[in-house]
Amino acid sequence: MHQGIRISGFGGQGVISAGILLAQAGLLEDKHVSWFPAYGAEMRGGTANCSVVISTDEVATPVVSRPETVIVMNEPSLAKFEPLVKPGGLMIINSSLVNSKTRRTDIKVVYVECNRIAEELGTTKIANMVALGAFSGATGAVSIEAISRALTKVFKRAKPEIIELNVKALKKGAEAAR
Amino acid sequence: MSKQIKLWQGNEACAEGAMYAGCDFFGGYPITPSTEVAEILASLLPKAGGKFIQMEDEIAGIGTILGAAAAGAKSMTSTSGPGFSLMMELLGYGCMAEIPCVIVNVQRAGPSTGLPTKGAQADVMQTRWGTHGDHPTIALCPSSIEESFKLTVKAFNLAEKFRMPVILLLDEFIGHMREKMEVPRPGELEIYNHPRPKVDPKEYQHYADGSSVGGPYAAMGSGYRFNITGLTHDKHGFPTARLDEIQWKMDRLRDKIDRHLAELTEVEEEFLDDAEIVIFSYGAAARSSQQAVRQSRAKGIKAGLLRPTTIWPFPDRIVTDVLKKCRTMLVAEISQGQLVYEVERCNKSSTPVVPVLRYDGEMITPAQILKAVEEAQK
Repeated sequence: MHQGIRISGFGGQGVISAGILLAQAGLLEDKHVSWFPAYGAEMRGGTANCSVVISTDEVATPVVSRPETVIVMNEPSLAKFEPLVKPGGLMIINSSLVNSKTRRTDIKVVYVECNRIAEELGTTKIANMVALGAFSGATGAVSIEAISRALTKVFKRAKPEIIELNVKALKKGAEAAR
Repeated sequence: MSKQIKLWQGNEACAEGAMYAGCDFFGGYPITPSTEVAEILASLLPKAGGKFIQMEDEIAGIGTILGAAAAGAKSMTSTSGPGFSLMMELLGYGCMAEIPCVIVNVQRAGPSTGLPTKGAQADVMQTRWGTHGDHPTIALCPSSIEESFKLTVKAFNLAEKFRMPVILLLDEFIGHMREKMEVPRPGELEIYNHPRPKVDPKEYQHYADGSSVGGPYAAMGSGYRFNITGLTHDKHGFPTARLDEIQWKMDRLRDKIDRHLAELTEVEEEFLDDAEIVIFSYGAAARSSQQAVRQSRAKGIKAGLLRPTTIWPFPDRIVTDVLKKCRTMLVAEISQGQLVYEVERCNKSSTPVVPVLRYDGEMITPAQILKAVEEAQK
């Protein structure tokens, strides 16, 4: 099993932390993992993306140039990463913020209204968790259970009710992608 | 007891490695992409009885660690290109006064302010020659999170033993990436602390013959009298203009490295035995090179990897030997080409040496290196 993933969006959408969670979840399932961020000097508003590799083999390079899966959280990310997805790969598109449709016909595409689903749960801050849930639901590469456990490892000081809210978002995302 | 498994960043592993090695003083000024090293030590050091000081700039940062080390602390600073440039003068002071300390440079793209959040490997010659005058250099270069930890520990050990600043040359890619790390248990890795003098203080010479590598030396304020200066000095540390003493001091500095090359040289090899095309690569670039070697082998091309973890001193003899046996050597670097000149210097067999370079702030890819391997195979 080898999954190279790119998660991309605006700074502040939580694409960097979503990637860390995914890598941590893979680690909890005894996979080889790597995580690598790419962002500008801005704290918010710039573009940010990260590479995650989850594999049964040792990971050589952490930068995923031809991803099996791309999670697109905003419009500019679609143009940037659409051409890179491997044929037969997967693209998860946050259709709350991305109006365009993909022109690729050789990949699987799942449109998920991440922001709307997150808002219904109480806050758009967890739109990234909806997207991660969708990834888990669509690929089965990591389980919702492992991502949930990763939440408590990565966000050690988070209150239980916040963790619970994030887990809800993961589950909603998985449902939306199935 | 099962091992602790962490999803650490290179910078985090470096900070934790420093704690493991017994670092008890950090002075510095935070700068991207090295900030996590300082941030984490600011939290860990005080809890362990150590000291963390954020200084007004990098010049003061290295000044404090030299002072702390002279007084017996195990000290470290971390920085990136712009800060590393500012440290050059006092780096030479540390070499001249023979003060053990660790300087971490998490390389970013330059020159000048360059690209703060993007990586490069273009400080490798500055690491060797950035401070003026003939001087010894030891620099280690990790390619993984686990190596970031282990080589930080090793950097402290070498600093203590060789009485000099040791540079850990990270890059943004390894500094910021995360991967699995099994944390070594206490006692699992060797920790070297230099011996303290036992002689009568009246007899003590701070720079006595035999004390330059592995010998005893005293901390300031421990009852032994000596002088510390950047001026060329005698065995007590006092400035000298005597030609024989100048020669003695300069030979002493050179011999630290030249007489211990076998001990200092360290390289990792993959598939070198029958390799026709060898990739010389280090740090982040070696990760992509490793993948390119695997892909080449899958295509039936006999490729191999030569990866030094100690960059300075340069592994001259090994590179010369490998060049004799292989058909072509590719040098994959994230710069406009620096160590490629060192490889060429070691080439005694007119083997073609081909640079494979990237310098736009992004990591060199396995595809780029694989293409170069295929070209070389033709």
